[in-house]
Amino acid sequence: MSELSLTQDEQDVLQELMNIAYGDATAVVAEMLDAFATLSIPNIRLIETSALLHELKGLEGESYFFSTQAFNGMFSGESAFFIDTQSACNLAKHLDLENDEDLDDAILELTNVLTSSLTIRLAQEMNAEIKFSLPSINKLPYNKIQTNKTLQEYSQVIVIDTEINFKDQKINGEIFILTKDGSIKWLKNQLSSILEALM
Amino acid sequence: MAKESTEQYFRSIDVDKKLIANIDNGIIIVDEALNIYYFNKWLEIYTHLKEKDVLGEKLNSVFANINVKTLQRKIRTALKMDSPSFYIASNSKYLIPIKINRIKASGFTHMRQDVSVIPFDTEKRLVALIISDQTSIVSMNILLELNIQKIEDLNKELIREKNIIDKRVLFMKINNEYLITDCSQAYMDLLGVQKIDIYLQNFFNYENLKSAEELTKEILNHIQEKKVYKYEKITLTDKEKEITLLNTLVPEYDKNGMHIGFIIFSENITSAKLVQKQQQILLQNSRTSAMGEMISMIAHQWRQPLSVINTIIATLKVKKELDVLDDATLEESYDKIEKTVSYLSDTIDDFRNFFKTNKELSLIPIQTIFDKATNLLMGDIKAYKIHYTENISDDIKINTYKNELIQTLINILKNSIDAFKDTPRENQTLTVKVWEEPRYVIIEIEDNAGGIKEEIVGKVLEPYFSTKSKNGTGLGLYLCKTIVEEHLNGELTIKSKGVNTTSIIKLAKNLENKKEEI
Repeated sequence: MSELSLTQDEQDVLQELMNIAYGDATAVVAEMLDAFATLSIPNIRLIETSALLHELKGLEGESYFFSTQAFNGMFSGESAFFIDTQSACNLAKHLDLENDEDLDDAILELTNVLTSSLTIRLAQEMNAEIKFSLPSINKLPYNKIQTNKTLQEYSQVIVIDTEINFKDQKINGEIFILTKDGSIKWLKNQLSSILEALM
Repeated sequence: MAKESTEQYFRSIDVDKKLIANIDNGIIIVDEALNIYYFNKWLEIYTHLKEKDVLGEKLNSVFANINVKTLQRKIRTALKMDSPSFYIASNSKYLIPIKINRIKASGFTHMRQDVSVIPFDTEKRLVALIISDQTSIVSMNILLELNIQKIEDLNKELIREKNIIDKRVLFMKINNEYLITDCSQAYMDLLGVQKIDIYLQNFFNYENLKSAEELTKEILNHIQEKKVYKYEKITLTDKEKEITLLNTLVPEYDKNGMHIGFIIFSENITSAKLVQKQQQILLQNSRTSAMGEMISMIAHQWRQPLSVINTIIATLKVKKELDVLDDATLEESYDKIEKTVSYLSDTIDDFRNFFKTNKELSLIPIQTIFDKATNLLMGDIKAYKIHYTENISDDIKINTYKNELIQTLINILKNSIDAFKDTPRENQTLTVKVWEEPRYVIIEIEDNAGGIKEEIVGKVLEPYFSTKSKNGTGLGLYLCKTIVEEHLNGELTIKSKGVNTTSIIKLAKNLENKKEEI
């Protein structure tokens, strides 16, 4: 087993931590949307960036909002959030947004809410502190994803599929927590420590 | 000692307060209802409002533009997450309206701001709004995006043009070790080869120049001197088909001006070479045909003087038989025969001269040219009762290749005479007018021999096109056009209206000496 891949036990712990973090994220999203919201239980995977790019081929022909936000600390990297145009429209409708700029702002906020609440909680559970940079947004077609620098600079990706449901509206999105090898090692060590403590 | 005094100093002041007061960011502390609890110095300077005047006021009362719903949402989110939420300058433009007045126009009237909504006191539901000036960065980003777009557009155009060049232009590149480093798709398609057949091959081996020592030497000389060199080369395609390429060797330099090799641009001149060869054959044929016509004219020209000689000899014979031949008659007859034979000899010389190509230009009156041309045709002109007139000023001279011009004029005049022969008519006229312009001499030859139909008048100068009922090779006028255009630096046009046909020859008055053999 490669030192940069997670064992089944480690993956289970990470999934548990994410479930806890998701509880927090759901509450924040509900606060933000000012509506009762549910987040589907995420499916967590750790894959290589090249594999992710291969998977993203499935998005070909579709247009996505792609927002990113860097985070720093013992666990550092960049979170990327993909949201499809229809979901963005649903969000705009619900928040009663007036123009595209407001929509971009709301998507960035959603990115911030999801990635912050997920990664902060994850870091907290592992006794670490992280700080966030300002997020940024791009509307990009699939063919630009392959050349996107954010995706190319990182080696490993924690992929979190999510679906937010609120007031019969759905927002489908995918969060990728992009990390470099050092952070994955740190994560693996922290997960091992948690496992040992549980034994 | 120093450490102690430093510690004492820092204990005596409120570091955080001092820093916040002087930090290069705006800081406002508000609660969820947007009541202002703190307003730092930076904001006082930029908004021209004093903290004492805004404390306790609602932020949206002080700044009416604020979208309360969005800000309150961000405050709630930040407090709930216990982590910042944000406004981004590139999307939200600004939260607090601060007018900017910069010399360097950014295109913005208000400062672009990033705003972090940081939880300050979760129990009291207070947040700090940290405002940073992003105007320059946003302005630069916009400029950058515009330039990136321009570069992308230019790059697309470059790729498109490169593809066109690759498909259309024949070229190969060699480095300074004479190894082929690149070649166009068009080149590979023409020769039916693949990249693998060409790349990194030695240029001289690939071009099979071993047997062409002189050419190799010339190419190497030009390569060493980094000079442009043109040469023709016959090459075989993959299907063993011979093609002729006109290659131009051009030195290639990189962006820093360093010489990196050569580009050999090729032009496929196989078709042009074929046309040239065909044209040579055509000209040869036409000259043979013209010679035949000339011989026929010589025969016609000789008939009368031969008849004179014949008569003199017959007279001498009769006088001898009658024994009345005296020395004076004999002397007179010898003189006549000598003169007539001399005339015959001159005629032959004249004809022979017409088939010689001049190497030298001669400055000659145009009247002399016409005299020589019509001298050979006058017999026919009279025989077919053609009213021939010339309107040529005596002082018009032309510096040209006279024999070629005479040959052309004979051909055109002969065409008119032949037309009258084919279809005789009343009042047959053949008129020549010559006039000069600053750089040209214009010759106009007009007959009323029936004209040329409108639908074929454009074709009479094409090879193998003839309107003659018999013995027409269709090369006469084509030969005239070739001589006029390629050797006399002129133009020949044929017009027809009704029964009239007009040939117009526009000739350079002073031809430069650059004649090639025809």
